[in-house]
Amino acid sequence: MVKSVEDDLGTRLGSQMISDENSSVVKTNQALLTGEGEASVNSSCERKKKEMKKETRLGISVKRDEDYGNWYSEVCRFGDLVEYYESVKGIYILKPSAMKIWKTIQRLFDAEIEKMNVEEYYFPIFVPGSALEKEKNHIEGFAPEVAWVTRAGDTELATPFALRPTSETVIYPFFSKWIRGHRDLPLKVYQWCNVVRWESSDPTPFIRSREFLWQEGHTAFATKEEADREVLDVLNIYSRVYEELLAVPVIKGIKSENEKFAGGLYTTSIEAFIPSTGRGIQAATSHSLGQNFAKMFDVTFEDKKGKRSMVWQNSWGLSTRSIGVMVMTHGDDEGLVFPPRVAPFQVVVIQVPIKGAADDQVLCNACEAVKSTLQEAGIRAKVDIRDNYSCGWKYADQELKGSPLRIEIGPRDLANDQVRIVRRDTGAKMDVKRGGMIEQVKDLLEKIQRNLYDVAKRKVEECTQKVETWDEFVKALSQKKLILAPWCDEVEVEKDVKKRTRGDETGGGGAKTLCTPLEQPELRKDTLCFASGKPAKKWSYWGKSY
Amino acid sequence: MVASLRLPSLTSILFPATTRRYPASLRRTVCLRNRPLSGFATAPSGTASPETKSPEVDRLRSDRAVTPRSQDFNAWYLDVIASAELADYGPVRGTMVIRPYGYAIWEAIQDYLNVKFKETGHSNMYFPQFIPYSFIEKEASHVEGFSPELALVTVGGGKELEEKLVVRPTSETIVNHMFTQWIHSYRDLPLMINQWANVTRWEMRTKPFIRTLEFLWQEGHTAHASPEEAEKEAKQMIEIYTRFAFEQTAIPVIPGRKSKLETFAGADITYTIEAMMGDRKALQAGTSHNLGQNFSRAFGTQFADENGERQHVWQTSWAVSTRFVGGIIMTHGDDTGLMLPPKIAPIQVVIVPIWKKDNEKTGVLSAASSVKEALQTAGVRVKLDDTDQRTPGWKFNFWEMKGIPLRIEIGPRDVSSNSVVVSRRDIPGKAGKVFGISMEASTLVAYVKEKLDEIQSSLLEKAVSFRDSNIVDVNSYDELKDAISSGKWARGPWSASDADEQRVKEETGATIRCFPFEQTQGTKTCLMTGNPAEEVAIFAKSY
Repeated sequence: MVKSVEDDLGTRLGSQMISDENSSVVKTNQALLTGEGEASVNSSCERKKKEMKKETRLGISVKRDEDYGNWYSEVCRFGDLVEYYESVKGIYILKPSAMKIWKTIQRLFDAEIEKMNVEEYYFPIFVPGSALEKEKNHIEGFAPEVAWVTRAGDTELATPFALRPTSETVIYPFFSKWIRGHRDLPLKVYQWCNVVRWESSDPTPFIRSREFLWQEGHTAFATKEEADREVLDVLNIYSRVYEELLAVPVIKGIKSENEKFAGGLYTTSIEAFIPSTGRGIQAATSHSLGQNFAKMFDVTFEDKKGKRSMVWQNSWGLSTRSIGVMVMTHGDDEGLVFPPRVAPFQVVVIQVPIKGAADDQVLCNACEAVKSTLQEAGIRAKVDIRDNYSCGWKYADQELKGSPLRIEIGPRDLANDQVRIVRRDTGAKMDVKRGGMIEQVKDLLEKIQRNLYDVAKRKVEECTQKVETWDEFVKALSQKKLILAPWCDEVEVEKDVKKRTRGDETGGGGAKTLCTPLEQPELRKDTLCFASGKPAKKWSYWGKSY
Repeated sequence: MVASLRLPSLTSILFPATTRRYPASLRRTVCLRNRPLSGFATAPSGTASPETKSPEVDRLRSDRAVTPRSQDFNAWYLDVIASAELADYGPVRGTMVIRPYGYAIWEAIQDYLNVKFKETGHSNMYFPQFIPYSFIEKEASHVEGFSPELALVTVGGGKELEEKLVVRPTSETIVNHMFTQWIHSYRDLPLMINQWANVTRWEMRTKPFIRTLEFLWQEGHTAHASPEEAEKEAKQMIEIYTRFAFEQTAIPVIPGRKSKLETFAGADITYTIEAMMGDRKALQAGTSHNLGQNFSRAFGTQFADENGERQHVWQTSWAVSTRFVGGIIMTHGDDTGLMLPPKIAPIQVVIVPIWKKDNEKTGVLSAASSVKEALQTAGVRVKLDDTDQRTPGWKFNFWEMKGIPLRIEIGPRDVSSNSVVVSRRDIPGKAGKVFGISMEASTLVAYVKEKLDEIQSSLLEKAVSFRDSNIVDVNSYDELKDAISSGKWARGPWSASDADEQRVKEETGATIRCFPFEQTQGTKTCLMTGNPAEEVAIFAKSY
């Protein structure tokens, strides 16, 4: 089905391009003849862009706040981040711009994790069923999602192998083997790999797919103090990936008993919030496993006094979901909006030509020269050189694909030794002298990075609501708020809240705790739990989630 | 663990009572076998199914001395991998865990090639690991070539799958499936992509790095508007691999064309680089395929050319894998252990400080640190082994076994004379040792860099002369048999049939490794038939 839509799109684009190009020529020439100058040339392109999008469906066909689900899948596809793979449901192809963003995330993470002396490994994808079954909760939790290799060539395998849904059961037997004495500690390993979870619900690019890419870290320490410290160190790196690279504000916190990783001691996470849908989204997790897995997998060491003790373990993960959260946070009705630090291309240079005029080649050269200047200054830039598209079409394309800045160069710009710079985030336009361009571009990229974060932060803050009673809670939930509420911290109460809010008008499952933020507002002594009326122990974030 | 990251709800983990299980029959067999069985290289013949190996029983002996290479090449290879901590056996027979030292070599390979791929206009992508079985069947010779090695997923999410899925052995089929949707006109061409991924081939005879059920690789896939362009691309990529082998890994590979029998399943032409290992067996270290229109016809990958006519695209694919790491070990290693070419060595220089009395320690260590600092600043990958739990002698042996190209020794006397001792890994004993190299930063850095370069070229020279002294020019089948039985490679004119080639394989165990690009001039007659021959072929036993 997707294919036929694509084909349709392809042919329609093809025919449209040609007619559009011609009309562009006419309009551009008219503009020049009537002496309206460069500004009107640009604006005629602008007008044309709108018509064109309507006719060719180049852009996003739905508004973000009207149909969020379809908007998201369209920006991911038309923005060239993923391709749907209709042959296997719930799996997506990651295209070059998605991979470039992932690489940028990997680079920052690698550099930080190296400072912590964590080393990169590669562990096999195949898990023997027996190993997977070793940790009871683990297999119970994952069994419904495991994909099994049962045949090799024409032979039925006597023992089927699972494809890793996560690698604890592969890695910890090696910990048991590699760790002998206290000198072998701490042991800190991580890997970048693909994992497989055959989930049936609601596949969404980046957010939930049956195969995805991630980083998983596994560490073992001699003492609980060291392990505790690392849990938070890693959480801080994750939070920096989101806030500094992806410009997504996140909340650092601790998961409730209900939501923590089974078998672990406690789970910390960073949580993002999507205002349009009023849902929280878990952005990354860092778990303290305590000694539970050490017991299960016999990971012990001889301490300095020659006594055998069990190690303290952590595990932590960050996946391509991060790209999805970024798209959800910044995207708008025109398409993707990339924060400059991760944008595959920070600047797209587009010429605003006059067809038939002799200086066409001059314009082309100017674009190339501008691009080279930008590249030499370390800015990721490209020229949209395609000669079969009008400038209006290219503007729309650049906006759809999310590059933070567009530089337009027309004959008038050339004559005035200037370029026109257009911001993707605000749409603001400015004419800048060629001489001061680099500084201006660098400055703008910084501003955009900051602005995207600030806007996102403000939106989340506007959506955040403190409540103290059940009625306030229900109302806030129906208004798609991110709710901060005093809570008695009892498992049964959380389950009860979930049951009572399931099937309300906002849809989806019931509300639950997202996390208990590390930064706690002051809790008055007599504060009561919003749900149970018992004395409250902490402030926690509540809401529906992805 | 990190599980919760992707789970829509954690309740399924916490309250699993309602969860579906995979079929009971499956589970029973899963629990059944847990006895330790075969490790690598000793796959039991006859059993088609790899066994679960209990991780407690490991065959890798990391604390034992390395078996001398001259004594037992295979045991030496496995020992080196264990002792140098390059890899460990995975929990499933035939799989491996790549440990940081081995992974760092792979990363050096990636770093170099990734830059070259980008320079030549390729973009990285990621394609799914699961391929519907029907895709694999579309290209007839492809399915024939791969079907015995396919791992099939038939159960997912607790249910029997409607269509069984192949865990990718290579990605031509899924790539073509997508290319068909992305390519419309000549403007979309050439389309040139690459991916770094894991692939699975259910092999029976396995060996760490050389042949494992799962391995890591890069696979490039391109589509072009003309056969000439595709051919140029295929040749360009084998050229990049060749340069990489020579310049970075000091492996003098022989680039050439595969025979029809050895051509990739689904390709028109396969180009290869063939390397001679220390035991004189050949290792196919990289391949580049001209796929012609085989896949584009099977998948209907067409474009409208400049005249508006529909044509099938012309394609290539090319790959290098973690096998290359095995090639590096087996080319340069010696009785002592690993020997790494400086350009890809994760650690190029190790500094071993030497002191006897406590009052000497501070001076020696501070000198060692400043030497390390100076080298690091100059971009040399250096490691200071300053632990006091091992003797200097133990450290010498250990780092030699790990294959570090250069060792710097600093003792109290060196500190007072402001100099260091430098030892080369590739020249054993006194001959490779130079005393009194000034500790002064610029002098030392210049000296170290020069030595690293020397080692790099010396390793290549050694490998070239080893290779050339083990290739015999032959003109008859008898000569060929003699050469092969004495463990050498045979090079001779060849124009005989596939059946003859098959016969050589059965009778001697050798296969045509390639028709080398570098051909001798003059008229040739086929060594088998006596008919005129256009080219010489290289025959050898191989991994």
